[in-house]
Amino acid sequence: MELQKMRKKIDLIDYEMLKLLNQRMEYVLRLKKLKSSVTDTDRELEVFQHIRRFSQHLIKPEFSEKIFREIIKESKRLQEQDIKVVGFQGEHGAYSEVAALSYEPALVPIPCVDFVDVFEGVKNNQLDYGIVPVENSLEGAVAQVNDLLIETDLKITGEISIPIHHHLLAIKETDYRDIRVVYSHPQALAQCHGFISRNKLDPRPFYDTAGAAKMLAAKGARSIAAISSALCAELYNLDIIKENIEDHESNKTRFLVLSAEPSKAAGNKCSMIFQTRHEAGALFRVLRIFSDADINLTRIESRPVRKEPGQYAFLLDFLGSDTDAKIRGALEKVKKETAMFKFMGCYKEAVK
Amino acid sequence: MKNIKLVALSGSKRTIVKVDGVKIGEGFTVIAGPCSVESEEQTLETARAVKKAGADMFRGGAFKPRTSPYAFQGLGLKALKILEKAKKETGMPIVTEVLDTRDVSWVCEYADILQIGARNMQNFSLLKEAGKSNKTVLLKRGMHSTIEEWLNCAEYILNEGNPNVILCERGIRTFETYTRNTLDLSAIPAVKELTHLPVIVDPSHAVGKVSLIEPMCLAAVAAGADGLIIEVHRNPTEALSDKEQALNPRQFSDIMKKTRALYKYVTELRG
Repeated sequence: MELQKMRKKIDLIDYEMLKLLNQRMEYVLRLKKLKSSVTDTDRELEVFQHIRRFSQHLIKPEFSEKIFREIIKESKRLQEQDIKVVGFQGEHGAYSEVAALSYEPALVPIPCVDFVDVFEGVKNNQLDYGIVPVENSLEGAVAQVNDLLIETDLKITGEISIPIHHHLLAIKETDYRDIRVVYSHPQALAQCHGFISRNKLDPRPFYDTAGAAKMLAAKGARSIAAISSALCAELYNLDIIKENIEDHESNKTRFLVLSAEPSKAAGNKCSMIFQTRHEAGALFRVLRIFSDADINLTRIESRPVRKEPGQYAFLLDFLGSDTDAKIRGALEKVKKETAMFKFMGCYKEAVK
Repeated sequence: MKNIKLVALSGSKRTIVKVDGVKIGEGFTVIAGPCSVESEEQTLETARAVKKAGADMFRGGAFKPRTSPYAFQGLGLKALKILEKAKKETGMPIVTEVLDTRDVSWVCEYADILQIGARNMQNFSLLKEAGKSNKTVLLKRGMHSTIEEWLNCAEYILNEGNPNVILCERGIRTFETYTRNTLDLSAIPAVKELTHLPVIVDPSHAVGKVSLIEPMCLAAVAAGADGLIIEVHRNPTEALSDKEQALNPRQFSDIMKKTRALYKYVTELRG
């Protein structure tokens, strides 16, 4: 029994080491674009000095060097490959990561703390793309993201809409009868209200759905569960106690893919943001341009402009390509009618 | 009968229990499946077979009340997930037994009908918990219970606010040892006289012998039962529980044909 217990501790340490190693590799990929060549001898010397200094107790400097020679070799191998990285907000396993992987499985998702970090990362060239949730079928617009879109110079190069399925996760070998408390993002808790109340669970808000799963894995407690994605069960070695516990089956979130450059591929959907002059009929005159040109709008959202109290920006999506003369003509007219106009990009409409 | 208020028949209005498109108490409903969920493969194969033979609902045990604590106790949650899959594939609603009050809300997440077994018929806290749920309850008659005791147990469930109860006669203990129990066929018309609830028959547990199941199925139809619940295993010789009374899919299919034909005839006869 003692042997088993200690081996479990060792397994946990191995898991933590690999997780940290993966985090290191994520930074390696992020800084690739910031340096001139893959090999940087000065920096390598610095790393070795560093690890020699921190080698302690049982870990001898020679042993650390051996490990890090391999790590640096692998880091360079990764940097030499043409890997595209996409930033998302949240911990690994977040629904944004699920969206990124279903948008393009070849992309490497990189976790970011806040939405603004995703925008900044793309702007600073550390990330090739960013993926952010823009609207949810039950909850409506994601305010923070829409506000960042108004201020950003980034372009939209794609979109994807994914169904959100919540699962009840617990650490392996948990007896479901022992579960009393369930952690998740308040939105996920709200979307699973029926399940939680039917089973008399105590809901506790957490900063992130994937963060709740991560915390569960780290704590190893048997009386708590998390509501997160199926990807989280895989990443954090958790059991799915119950699948699809959401109250409404049709729960979808639409994500936008951001890039510093506009998409080169042909698109059939466009996004734009504008502000009108403060006068009667201003918004109507803009919308009439689309109506007259027979252009189908798919979304219109108004958000207060944070820098200018009392002012509103409109986020508008419509079907059509910016290479189409009809669309170009309409957009020229819109520019003249508005106080601020920003074309966000033309991209392929997501399959519904 | 004393204290039987909510389940007592008053006038001619009978309860028709609706479960996912299946109506119990209108026409003849057949529930079939293995005694225990043993594996995904065994369960899905049996589900496909009974569906093909014309079963309306699927049964399978996740928690098994066994005479010996060393006998197979059921797969629990794993079995519930397998039953959910069987429903997804065949569309048949799921009937499964619940043994423990702590399991009621969880079993409700997977099953369409909660079965309260003969051994638990008078487990009053379990009856109350099932009465608070929003699922139909299949209440089996205890092996040494009178009809009055049985109906009082149904009263417990209705009294908690759950009107959807199906009664199930599964044989009572007598001095006879050749059969596992003695099927009390007279209980069916008796219950029909006393209550508005639908009543079905479990011939498998009543006789405990494959050879006696068919005649008892036909007798149940003649006695006016609203349906049957029968144990079927894709290969009875390898069943982990109740192998002596499980039909194979071919035997089940054969009985289904005869039973449906007799039901049609009896209905015409009664007008």
